[in-house]
Amino acid sequence: MSGRDEGISTELLNALADGELTGAEREGLLARLGGDPEARARLCAIREAKARVAEAYPPLPEAAPRPRRRPAWPLAAAAVLLAAALAAVLGPGAPDRRMVLLDPLGVGERPAAVSDATLRIVFHVVDPSHTKAGELLEEVEGLLARHRDAGLPLRVEVVAHGEGLALLRAGLSRHRERIAALAGAYPNLTFVACHNTVTRLQVEEGIAVTLIPEAEVTRSGVAHVVRRQQEGWAYIQV
Amino acid sequence: MKALLSSVTAILAALVLTTGIAAAYEKQKVVYHVNYDNPKKQAGAMRNIQNHINAVGAENLDLVVVLHGNGVSLLKHAKEDMDFQGKVVSLKSQNVRFNVCNNTLVGREIDPVADLYDVFDEDIVPSGVAELAHLQAQGYTYIKP
Repeated sequence: MSGRDEGISTELLNALADGELTGAEREGLLARLGGDPEARARLCAIREAKARVAEAYPPLPEAAPRPRRRPAWPLAAAAVLLAAALAAVLGPGAPDRRMVLLDPLGVGERPAAVSDATLRIVFHVVDPSHTKAGELLEEVEGLLARHRDAGLPLRVEVVAHGEGLALLRAGLSRHRERIAALAGAYPNLTFVACHNTVTRLQVEEGIAVTLIPEAEVTRSGVAHVVRRQQEGWAYIQV
Repeated sequence: MKALLSSVTAILAALVLTTGIAAAYEKQKVVYHVNYDNPKKQAGAMRNIQNHINAVGAENLDLVVVLHGNGVSLLKHAKEDMDFQGKVVSLKSQNVRFNVCNNTLVGREIDPVADLYDVFDEDIVPSGVAELAHLQAQGYTYIKP
């Protein structure tokens, strides 16, 4: 990232701050940091940025399924009964609310009772162009409206990382109102910002990023879109 | 027994040798997503597609190109520029399909017959994005060149 060969890379410092290094790697890096005040300063900045982001934006829980100690079927059975009760109460016109209730954190775990006819699409925004962003939002709105009118279940995520994060930055985005309107109208739409990008901007460019209130945060934008594809979501790069 | 084994081995060896290099890749279903206007990039995408066909074999490849947003201009350029048209014709002759997004046509008031090259009703899909998602659900791999 910094372009220097011998210097300690920001990526390595991030890994240290995230607790992702093995014991030996960690010891080795800490020893190197002893003689590198510039890298220590960067590490401080990284930790500060992480703390600030974590405070302002509660992170999404990891979507990878945790090993279950209890059998899953009683939970699934309960979910089926709940969904049936909801269907009776809400009627066929409210598939969105049912989806959100069973998947309130929007992490994409398969809701036990909703049929797998749910279409799930993740849009990956990597381009800063405001025009393209506008076109994307236009397309997304059309998609959501058509599915709602037809009563077809749909989940849409817009994941922004790298230069694409401009869409979700309070100071830069030219589509704040439209995003707010869409997020309000469609509970099955989620905007997701990449935490690594936020950290990198802070540490390497000294920019204190403020995200729009509708943005959820995922640790790594690219890991997130890969995970979504593994979960069976369609992928579209903008 | 030994004679039988060695003839079976010989037959298998012959099969492997004859099918060998040409079968480097298995059958593939791929959707290429083009949503940009730049003719150089569009020509680059068509070159990628030709390379893909060369590597896999036209008969093993089910390849669809979805044009939407600014990408629809690819078939406009093909109408105006003979070189460009030649590339499209060549790919179509190798079973590549070019699908065009109707939302884009309507939104930008593009007449598929008058403004675009060789577009018929069956080439027009209601929504480019929905088509991309639909094809992926059908097992097509997504590529954005």
